[in-house]
Amino acid sequence: MESIVTTKNNRRTNGKLKKRLSRIIIYTLLGLFAIVNVYPIIWMAINSFKSEQEFTVNQFGFPNEFILENYANAWEIANLGVLFKNSIFVCVTATLVTVIIGALASYFLARFKFRFNKIMYTFFIFGLLIPIHATLVPMFILMKNLGLLNTEITLLFPYVAFHLPITIFILTSFMKAFPKDIEESAIMDGAGIFRIFWSIILPMSRPAIATVVILNFIYNWNEFSFALVLINDPALQTLPLGLANFAGQFTTNYGAQMAGLTMSLVPIVIFYLFLEKEIVNGMTSGAVKG
Amino acid sequence: MQLTRKSKAAIIIGLLPAFLIYAVFAIYPILQSFYYSLMEWDGFTDMTFIGLDNFRNLFEDPLFWNSVKNNLYVVIASVLGQVPIALFFALLLNRKIKGVKFFRTVGFLPVVLSTVVISLTWSLIYNSQNGMLNEFLRNIGLGFMAQNWLGDTKWVMIAVLVTVVWQFVGLYFIIFLAALQNVPTEVLEAAKMDGASEWMTTFKITIPMIWDSIIVAVILCISGSLKTFDLIYVMTNGGPAHSSDVMALYMFHETFNNLQYGYGSAVSVFIFFFSLILIFIVTKLLGKKMI
Repeated sequence: MESIVTTKNNRRTNGKLKKRLSRIIIYTLLGLFAIVNVYPIIWMAINSFKSEQEFTVNQFGFPNEFILENYANAWEIANLGVLFKNSIFVCVTATLVTVIIGALASYFLARFKFRFNKIMYTFFIFGLLIPIHATLVPMFILMKNLGLLNTEITLLFPYVAFHLPITIFILTSFMKAFPKDIEESAIMDGAGIFRIFWSIILPMSRPAIATVVILNFIYNWNEFSFALVLINDPALQTLPLGLANFAGQFTTNYGAQMAGLTMSLVPIVIFYLFLEKEIVNGMTSGAVKG
Repeated sequence: MQLTRKSKAAIIIGLLPAFLIYAVFAIYPILQSFYYSLMEWDGFTDMTFIGLDNFRNLFEDPLFWNSVKNNLYVVIASVLGQVPIALFFALLLNRKIKGVKFFRTVGFLPVVLSTVVISLTWSLIYNSQNGMLNEFLRNIGLGFMAQNWLGDTKWVMIAVLVTVVWQFVGLYFIIFLAALQNVPTEVLEAAKMDGASEWMTTFKITIPMIWDSIIVAVILCISGSLKTFDLIYVMTNGGPAHSSDVMALYMFHETFNNLQYGYGSAVSVFIFFFSLILIFIVTKLLGKKMI
């Protein structure tokens, strides 16, 4: 009798131990995953405050004193002010244009029956399959012929064109799900087609709009290939392009390089941390359905 | 909605802006690259029609096949690296534990960062003199393993692939996490009641139930890998001695450095069909409709 009780107790403590052990393993693994994901960035940010000498002898610790000189240098040499200004202009404008004309097109594709509806939709979605690098050469020539190389608005055209497919894809599938009689009651109240779009469909699509705004913003902010091919005037370069050139020219000035990179990370990391939930929701709904 | 003449006009007005900009700046260029691929052209003087000669030369070009090979390495590393790692950590995080939100945020962070910034950061990590990696190896007494990671033809591709995997694990991690949340808990509880171990439940129930998401991840992974350009352009520019060249980069150099617009376009056309065929095969094999 006694022995049965002890084995029972033993088994219980064993189970608890096992549970605790598996918990420790899980947290260790997840912790490693987190460290691997952020450490490269933290390493760079910390070292951006060190002098060149300190960097060579003490790479993994905190700096003895925080030197801001690297930041001043990077800002000046890489012309970060201009790069930020260009990137913000291109990114915000392209995102706005894409979402506005994309939402309008999605509205008609999702809510109206007309002869070329299906063809039109397929035509737009086909863009998801076009590898953008296969268009770099003709894009360069097209822009050259249109006199659009190296202007402030150059990048808007490819950015809008290549992000319309995903924008229309997400918005159309969202708008299609609304009940069919929405428009009928609005028409009874005397609303026109564009009025229905502006006052009813658009407000109802807010979650999907948020998703495509975020997606467009991240894509446009980080885009490199078109900027590389279509822009070579330093006064018009965007952040990724300017940083690549800067790093190429100042290969030995590690401090300034790391300071420049750290500064360029700040806006997108803040943007991400603020909208993390929506980004994750949007990424998943968009990608899983794809 | 019922169509009246007025609404027909509205449809045209509504679709026109998107249609025009998309047709001119996305569809027209891809069609143009077909046309240019049949030409011999330096981009400035007159074009000469040479039929399929560019493609003939392309298929005999060892440097091109070298870039195709490296591109396939990127595909393989992405599919076999990103997807399993992401799935593993998503399964790990998909239970009642503290800090789910933290791990989710941190897990996705690299995906948001610009490829150029990632490339430059990792170039600093791989730096042969005082990069983090070599410094770390020296500190733990493995200094003999320190390498010129990006300057050595033996190591460069491995170094680049590690960065590629690092950059996009988070994307698939989030996709899997979302899929796992949609698995009904009743099913898992029933399995538990029947005495199934956690391994059994994971492999016999959870993974089959999110199989669709896994397929989507594989497709995204393949098509994403074929687009690799920025990362390698910034990290190594294809070097040393073409040992990290990929198709898009090869196309870029042939066109803009060697001014062979026709030949570069032939590479573009190849990339286009290569992507389409690969996606088609994968979707057929896995039985999933892409669009």
